[in-house]
Amino acid sequence: MLKKLLKYDLKSINIVLIVFYGLSIFFSILTRIFLSIENSFIFNVIGQICNGTMIAMMFNIIINNLIRLWVRFKQNFYGDESYLTHTLPVEKKTLYLSKFIVSVITLLISILVIVLSLFIAHYSKENIELVKNLLLPLATIYDSTVIGIIFSFVFVIFLELFNMLQSGYVGIVLGHRKNNNKMLFTFIYGFIIYLLTQIFALAVVFLVALFNKDIMNLFYSMETLNVDMIKLCIYLAVGVYMTNIIVLYIVNSKLFSKGVNVD
Amino acid sequence: MDLVKFINVNKQFGNKKILKDINLTIPKGRIIGLLGKNGTGKTTLIKLINDLLTPTSGEILVNGKRVGVESKKVISYLPERTYLDKSMTVDQVIAYFEDFYKDFSKTKARKLLKDLDLDTTQKLSKMSKGMQEKVQLVLVMSRKADLYILDEPLGGVDPATRDYILDTILNNFNEDASVIISTHLIADIERILDEVIFIDKGKIILQSDADELRKKEKESIDEIFRRMFKC
Repeated sequence: MLKKLLKYDLKSINIVLIVFYGLSIFFSILTRIFLSIENSFIFNVIGQICNGTMIAMMFNIIINNLIRLWVRFKQNFYGDESYLTHTLPVEKKTLYLSKFIVSVITLLISILVIVLSLFIAHYSKENIELVKNLLLPLATIYDSTVIGIIFSFVFVIFLELFNMLQSGYVGIVLGHRKNNNKMLFTFIYGFIIYLLTQIFALAVVFLVALFNKDIMNLFYSMETLNVDMIKLCIYLAVGVYMTNIIVLYIVNSKLFSKGVNVD
Repeated sequence: MDLVKFINVNKQFGNKKILKDINLTIPKGRIIGLLGKNGTGKTTLIKLINDLLTPTSGEILVNGKRVGVESKKVISYLPERTYLDKSMTVDQVIAYFEDFYKDFSKTKARKLLKDLDLDTTQKLSKMSKGMQEKVQLVLVMSRKADLYILDEPLGGVDPATRDYILDTILNNFNEDASVIISTHLIADIERILDEVIFIDKGKIILQSDADELRKKEKESIDEIFRRMFKC
């Protein structure tokens, strides 16, 4: 049943997002073409416009992605379509698992499209050298490659977005357990849950800081981060976000298993 | 074994009690009218059987098991609203039902839709609400379920469509199955009912065989209803 749910959920979400994916890649190609034409003021201006549009599309992909996933979650579990969703012969936890997996896949595809668009628009030996020079010291400390460092940053961004998305899901579930003002409570709970996850992150950093002077300096000084600390911060971020995601997944699954009250 | 059994079921939203201490059994192979005025708890009762609401207390059993995956396999439910994804075409909705319900007959659905002269490649969003409701009815009646639950299937439709709906129900339900029809338009369905359940202010006030009740009261079900629920 999970496979079938995934098929319909993926199709429903990506049928619109694919348009933005296409536009982002289209403008990245235009950006590359126009910016590669030398000694032309007009083509350079067009290239910059295309670049701006491509960046707008990238933001659009992320925002659209989050909103569409939240809206579909709400419609499927608490809107008119919930009359179909909850009467399917499927466990409630499987229904939620499907949404969880689709969220992971869709966010990953979106981030991949964004990286691909940037690569198409701005790949050049000079730019690669620039990025390498910027990240090489970090990669050395990290005992990793530049690609590995980029991947780590992208992964942390993915986890942060996913954490935000899951906080929204918990907000929807908790908000719809109320008898009145469900949408208002959805926003309030969503915001509170997201805030709690961030406070948890800060608390973990502070706990680590008790045993690490460099990290403690983050709380008491304006010193810039050194590469060692960046490495530790990435580890912490991954650990904290993974914990948040797992905890929120368990909370939502438990809440669903207790049953729903559909309007 | 009873098909559905309510044991001391209560449902409340906040301080408002919607259903009060419901004890009810639904036997197999009967067409049952769930009758009551608007806002008396008919839909709440139906939603509880379909796991769309969770009881505040008490237990609901379907084929002896608590409401869940197994009960959903044998219950075919038509809600009072349009509930399908409107971005889908009729063909896609048929495929969806075929994917999720083992007892769904694609052939039967196609035949019934053909009778409606419907373009199955059309999106639901392009159809009138009435046509969407007919599609839903066809999908629900194309399952070989143990229990069909139809919530206000006749609400807000013209007499000709009412006839179409009743004929579709009568000609297509699995004969060993039970049908629960919730409505306040009793005159239209009286002829097909085997049993009636009257609900008022969240309580079951009467459950009886339709013919026996008519004999006993020497009135039609519609007349009994009007007398009992007189404002």
